[in-house]
Amino acid sequence: METDRKIILLADTEQSQQDKLRDFYTSFFNQIKDKGLEDSVALVRASDIGIYGKGFAVKIFPRGIVYTGVKESDIGAIIDASVKGQGTVERLLFSEEPKQIRIVLRNCGVIDPESIDEYIACRGYGALKKILSGMDPAGVIEEMKKSGLRGRGGAGYPTWMKWKFTRESQGDRKYVICNADEGDPGAYMDRSVLEGDPHSVIEGLIIAGYAIGAGSGYMYIRAEYPLAVERVKKAIEQAYECGLLGKNILGTDFSFDIDIRLGAGAFVCGEETALIASIEGKRGTPRPRPPYPSVSGLWGKPTAINNVETLANVPYIILEGGDKFALIGTEKSKGTKVFALTGKVRNSGLVEVPMGITLREIVFDIGGGMLGDKPIKAVQTGGPSGGVIPVDQLDTPVDYENLQKLGSIMGSGGMIVMDESDCIVDIAKFYLGFCVEESCGKCAPCRIGGYQMLNLLNGIVEGSGSLEDLDKLRRVALAMQRASLCALGQTAANPVMSTLRYFEHEYREHIVNRKCRSHKCRSLMTYSIIQDKCKRCRVCVINCPVNAIEGDREKGFFIDVSKCVKCGKCFEVCKFQAIAKE
Amino acid sequence: MAKLTPKDIDSKIAAGLDESGDWIKVGMSTCGMAAGAGEVFSTLQQEAKKRNLGVRIKKCGCQGMCYAEPLVEVHCAGLPDVVYGRVDKETAIKILEKHISAKTLVNDNIYEVRTKRQA
Repeated sequence: METDRKIILLADTEQSQQDKLRDFYTSFFNQIKDKGLEDSVALVRASDIGIYGKGFAVKIFPRGIVYTGVKESDIGAIIDASVKGQGTVERLLFSEEPKQIRIVLRNCGVIDPESIDEYIACRGYGALKKILSGMDPAGVIEEMKKSGLRGRGGAGYPTWMKWKFTRESQGDRKYVICNADEGDPGAYMDRSVLEGDPHSVIEGLIIAGYAIGAGSGYMYIRAEYPLAVERVKKAIEQAYECGLLGKNILGTDFSFDIDIRLGAGAFVCGEETALIASIEGKRGTPRPRPPYPSVSGLWGKPTAINNVETLANVPYIILEGGDKFALIGTEKSKGTKVFALTGKVRNSGLVEVPMGITLREIVFDIGGGMLGDKPIKAVQTGGPSGGVIPVDQLDTPVDYENLQKLGSIMGSGGMIVMDESDCIVDIAKFYLGFCVEESCGKCAPCRIGGYQMLNLLNGIVEGSGSLEDLDKLRRVALAMQRASLCALGQTAANPVMSTLRYFEHEYREHIVNRKCRSHKCRSLMTYSIIQDKCKRCRVCVINCPVNAIEGDREKGFFIDVSKCVKCGKCFEVCKFQAIAKE
Repeated sequence: MAKLTPKDIDSKIAAGLDESGDWIKVGMSTCGMAAGAGEVFSTLQQEAKKRNLGVRIKKCGCQGMCYAEPLVEVHCAGLPDVVYGRVDKETAIKILEKHISAKTLVNDNIYEVRTKRQA
């Protein structure tokens, strides 16, 4: 039953002030009242309607008409055309294709993740049924080839090739592993998929097992994701109860088992050979490749390792066909990618976008623009293995090749937006520090190189760096890239290299001028009191932990630079903005 | 649960998701839980029972709008589906009283309105 009442949503897409929207609401309401329509209309204030930077927006249901840039003077026309009548006000009309496409996240937020029935009702396990009732493993791999799906864990290796090689390798037993050891700072796509739709990953893993001829699979999940582990556990139990796992799945000859292995939270265990060692109960350190896991993996047997997001794509591809999947995306990067959009962006969260979308569209059209409308400085993608993309490259289409050209990588999907208050050197130091801490120490380039680079960066942010350090950084980075054993060491220098490429002037400012333009590097800052603004309230004097503020109410107060430890307390407590920080 | 046959899967898929009646879905992934979805969920359950409302309170995963968690999606006959964001205890009660009982939308917490289910 639809009520005959029209629902009108009002939203301020600039999100400047709620007060403004309330005023707009009031005048809208008054005009509706004047026209005697108040009984047939429900007027509602919305917080967000997915449109940004377009003034006031009005959305009218049930027709779903959207007007943007609405001024108070337009209200009458809108009411006459679309509330009283069935027409529209053309000049204010807004229409836009949705930017997001949901394939991986198709069920996230729709179904109850703890109910297998709801998953099946959304066509779940339909792909498994389809392959078991008439597709041979070669056919499955062929379908994957058509789809052009590439690994979503970061490197972007074509999934069908991985499966084909594993299938063709000799071995009495074969394994498939789902890599759910998501460790990039600021990335949580895999966690959300496992928590919101665990069955899709399980179904993907079963299909992978069928395609390569494996009898069992493992889910390697980090222990820091207790909710994800709990839901996956429950989902596996349900699948066993329904005969979708175990012996003779759906009454066929195909049998498959899944077991969970918990990772203890070492970043390096996301690397496939280290992950295999960890499942085998050994210390989680990588080994040289080749042999690749597709030839000799878990317990020396051929093994296919796929990321959570890759596997979540698989049921969709099988059901809808690889050709349909390949319609989305760019020439070499097909399908969609889930990004965890975080940092200085208004709407942080998960977005699933077709490959080939630009960073600008992601940040401004989906993410709603910058927090506090500050200018954007750069976007970091790919976590500690990735790089920083400066603002003038924001219009580059996002796919594997383009990001690599820019000195970053697609990575697992972390996307951190930065504004002018983020110091680039500090960011590079943070990511490098992360890799140094997570380095397993097996190979020297990563263990020693990372540490030396970090020392150089520490010198730069503390004001003791020299211009030669920049060359040293580049040399060590190159050695690490060439000589490290695994991707962790090979890519650890990427954040430093990409920031040096685009923001060398900021490094130079730190070294030559001893200045940090973002006021992030404490050692390079000086605090002083602006006498004109100072009301001599003494709050800073009381709060200074080292008694570095001297003077009295008559003469005024001064900061003794030799005593100051640059903690920033005075800056925080001053109510009159009388402390200057340079 | 009994083992499923291929036929069972076909018929379950054909039946589709049971979205009949009035229901409320609460996003209960880590992002939602951290923002207080657990409390919102239990408040909704208790208050709906207290008011004798025939509304199903369900769990779901993350919709993606993590900045606006806890997210609550409301489906009520005669109204479009509405996603409320930044829901706390008070808003949860408002949703039951206004949206479910009085069939009027709650101001200021709306983040999305859907005329029909998105594919």
